[in-house]
Amino acid sequence: MPELTPIQYYRAQERKGRFKNAGFALRIFFICLFLLLPIIFSSFKIVDLAVKIAIFATLAASFDVLLGYTGILSFGHGMFFGIGAYCVAFLMGKYGSPSYANLILGLCLAAAISMVLAFLISFLSLRVRAIFFAMITLAIAELAIILATKLSGFTGGEDGISMSMPGVLSVAFRGGEFLGIKITGRMLCYYLILFSCMGLFMLMLRFIHSPLGRVLQAIRDNSQRAEALGYKVFYYESMSITFGCIMAALAGGLYAVWVGYVNPESSLGVMTIMLDVLLMVIIGGMGTLYGGIIGAAFLKITQTFLPDLQDMARNAFPNADLLHQVLERWLLLFGVLFILVVIFFPKGVMGTVRERMSKPHAGRSR
Amino acid sequence: MVSKVARNWSRKVIIAGALILFLLPLIQIPFRTYVTLTIAGLAMGMLLFLVASGVSIILGLMDVLNFAHGALFAWGAYAGFSVFQWLAPWVRADSVALNIGVFGLAALAAILAVGILGMVLERMIVRRVYGNHLFQILITFGATIVLVELIRVIWGPNDEVMPTPLTLQGHWDVFDVVILRYPVLCIALGAATYGIIQWILKQTKLGIIVRAGVENRDMVQAMGYNIYLLFTGVFAFGAALAAFGGLAMSIFTMQVYPDMGSTYLLFAFIVVIIGGLGSATGSLVGALIVGLAYNYVAYMLPWAAAGVNILVMIVILLIRPTGLFPVGK
Amino acid sequence: MSEPILKVTDIHTYIGRHHILQGVSFEALPDSVTVLIGRNGAGKSTSLKTVIGLLPAFRGSIVFRGEPIEDKKPYEIARLGMAFVPEDMGIFTTLTVEENMRVAMLAEDKGSQGRLEKVLEIFPDLRKFWKAKAGNLSGGQKQMLAIARAITNDTDLLLIDEPSKGLAPVIVESLIQVINRIKGKSVVVLVEQNFYMASRVGDRYFILDDGSVVHSGTMTELMEREDLQSRYLVIAQR
Repeated sequence: MPELTPIQYYRAQERKGRFKNAGFALRIFFICLFLLLPIIFSSFKIVDLAVKIAIFATLAASFDVLLGYTGILSFGHGMFFGIGAYCVAFLMGKYGSPSYANLILGLCLAAAISMVLAFLISFLSLRVRAIFFAMITLAIAELAIILATKLSGFTGGEDGISMSMPGVLSVAFRGGEFLGIKITGRMLCYYLILFSCMGLFMLMLRFIHSPLGRVLQAIRDNSQRAEALGYKVFYYESMSITFGCIMAALAGGLYAVWVGYVNPESSLGVMTIMLDVLLMVIIGGMGTLYGGIIGAAFLKITQTFLPDLQDMARNAFPNADLLHQVLERWLLLFGVLFILVVIFFPKGVMGTVRERMSKPHAGRSR
Repeated sequence: MVSKVARNWSRKVIIAGALILFLLPLIQIPFRTYVTLTIAGLAMGMLLFLVASGVSIILGLMDVLNFAHGALFAWGAYAGFSVFQWLAPWVRADSVALNIGVFGLAALAAILAVGILGMVLERMIVRRVYGNHLFQILITFGATIVLVELIRVIWGPNDEVMPTPLTLQGHWDVFDVVILRYPVLCIALGAATYGIIQWILKQTKLGIIVRAGVENRDMVQAMGYNIYLLFTGVFAFGAALAAFGGLAMSIFTMQVYPDMGSTYLLFAFIVVIIGGLGSATGSLVGALIVGLAYNYVAYMLPWAAAGVNILVMIVILLIRPTGLFPVGK
Repeated sequence: MSEPILKVTDIHTYIGRHHILQGVSFEALPDSVTVLIGRNGAGKSTSLKTVIGLLPAFRGSIVFRGEPIEDKKPYEIARLGMAFVPEDMGIFTTLTVEENMRVAMLAEDKGSQGRLEKVLEIFPDLRKFWKAKAGNLSGGQKQMLAIARAITNDTDLLLIDEPSKGLAPVIVESLIQVINRIKGKSVVVLVEQNFYMASRVGDRYFILDDGSVVHSGTMTELMEREDLQSRYLVIAQR
């Protein structure tokens, strides 16, 4: 057997333990849960929740590629999500018609446009410091919303664009029964989106663990040293931004497929989409990709079941006005939670868990 | 590296260019309208200056990007709104004294309330993330969410009409040109504020220490000054300025709504980038450029109004990324 | 032998993850000039910054006039009577000479006015350029301004980091005279790589290498040790 270099040896060791730990078992469990979900739960609300978790987890992960792995904060991520949604909506609704070809074309268009735009935006990061980059991406995102609203002839304005799905994916589709389970268009749509999201997520995992991804982490930790080692920082940052934004756009396209409707506020909105992504990644844990899943699940479950929670509270404590007031303003609570997480748990859920888990090992090696 | 000569040259070119562009509309629109637009633009510029100068100096001195500045701006407007509601008869009265009085009280309320809010914000939240730009942005963003939601809780989620004191409404007729009163007041207030800020910075010891701190924080500390106290003070002052700007702007636009901070925060950032950070003069010039550009374009090409300032920002970033009047670091 | 005005014992300082000072001990006696000598990266500047509090001492103690100061903030330490002139001089270039001096003066009463007059006697050039922007001064004048600022208040201990760096020999001469004039009133701890400068003003020396003190003694002793000189010092032509 040929001699392994230290790095090759280390990587081989890493790979050996891959299938044996708790993390792997957990992953299998959740994948099975999501696969069987529409069969177990017939309520549309749950299926809808699951799809949203899948899509937003992918979006959050794509944001984490920029923030957690490359150290770049961009407020434009929501915009790319919206661009993807709009591309699909254009080809399936306003300027085209529902068909499989248009769906695929729409997603390709989303990827292409976001690639070009992301590359252009990454040029800005050369000229300015990180703080200014954040400001500028915010400005551009707001500009996008204004354009989408004002150029209503082109974009459908505030009313947005509706579309329906082709063939087997359409809401009305009935495919008979299989093993006693009704096959509906919604169900097929669910699986399409689920598998697409899983695919995108695995693509991102591949990206992070590739040699390119490791260089990005080096840049995040100490960009001057990375530069000194010979890596053209701009080139790598640019690749990372472009990749992350393409993923975001594809997630947006899938969102449009499920919801069947796009408009500036709900698809491009900074205080809607971008805020959610930020909350998800910070609470879930940045720099962990999986943190995005946890953050997305936490946020979406809370948002979905909040009305029920409010009803419960109203019935259980009919006179506690303050409680009701506070529950009404869930965003306030999330804001406070956000600040607390940033101060006390900057690594988020996933990050803190990973830290706790690695500590015993450090003790053992002594 | 661009030499000092070329730097000053590019600044003069940009300002000259801006002045020429601002005179162009005269070709197309009547003189009267031009005057009205110019006054509106200058007024808006002055109000933007009030918000942006706080951001600029805080960024220059403390290296903190305060995303919560917009929310503080909104709180100032709402604080004034409450005063106007409480003293409604004064607002409606046809007496200059009462009107100025209620305006003054509203301004005082805004400045004090938000100044204290700023102090609390700085000590409890911003101080924990000094040096880490990413977390500063995140935490002040989080603070914005909380502050805006609190506005919704306290004052309700709807847009409200902001009353204008009676004698401040209306106009003067000068040589057949309509000159609105309130914008002129805004211009005067803004110029006065700029004058006060410059006086503080140039003549008082505190101001000199702040300017020194913008250039070299550590040295100021090593010379015996409690830099943390300075930070809290400057932050509170910036917040108070934003609050005053918010009050004045809400009267100008005749409305208050919970999200009003975010639009103007964006403008403030653009002004800081154009004007250069750490400098009050830069904020003034940048703000006037933004205000005038917005008003001229809004009249002539309404659809382009929102985008024109972002365009200006990008142009400045390409030609002179440090801004017009940066304070050297 | 009188009590040292500054006693630094076994301090460790980290910059980020780098263990720069690995147990540095030195002291400064009253009415003397102590010189910290060593090559680049030995930890001389870091030692001064730790004493003034700009860098936190991870371990060890710093005692100034009998009071422990290792946990104090820089502004507290400065107010106790210590002044610091950093390697880059720390001049506020956008402020005028007058404003620079004004920042330095902690009080603005008659006593401080008197002291200011005395300082300007030592540095007449500053009066000439009183209203000029400090950034427009020459290298030597900036260094004079930096030192003038540092002695404006009743400074008991003056920390100066490489004052002769980048200055022409004739300026270095006037610098030497200035420091010898200050010597009576304040104790000076100097960081220097330039042996000529160190030998003309210094009374005692401590040699730093790789984060700790490897040699110390009086300046007269060092003048004899050519081996130490060539190993740790830059010998500039006179």
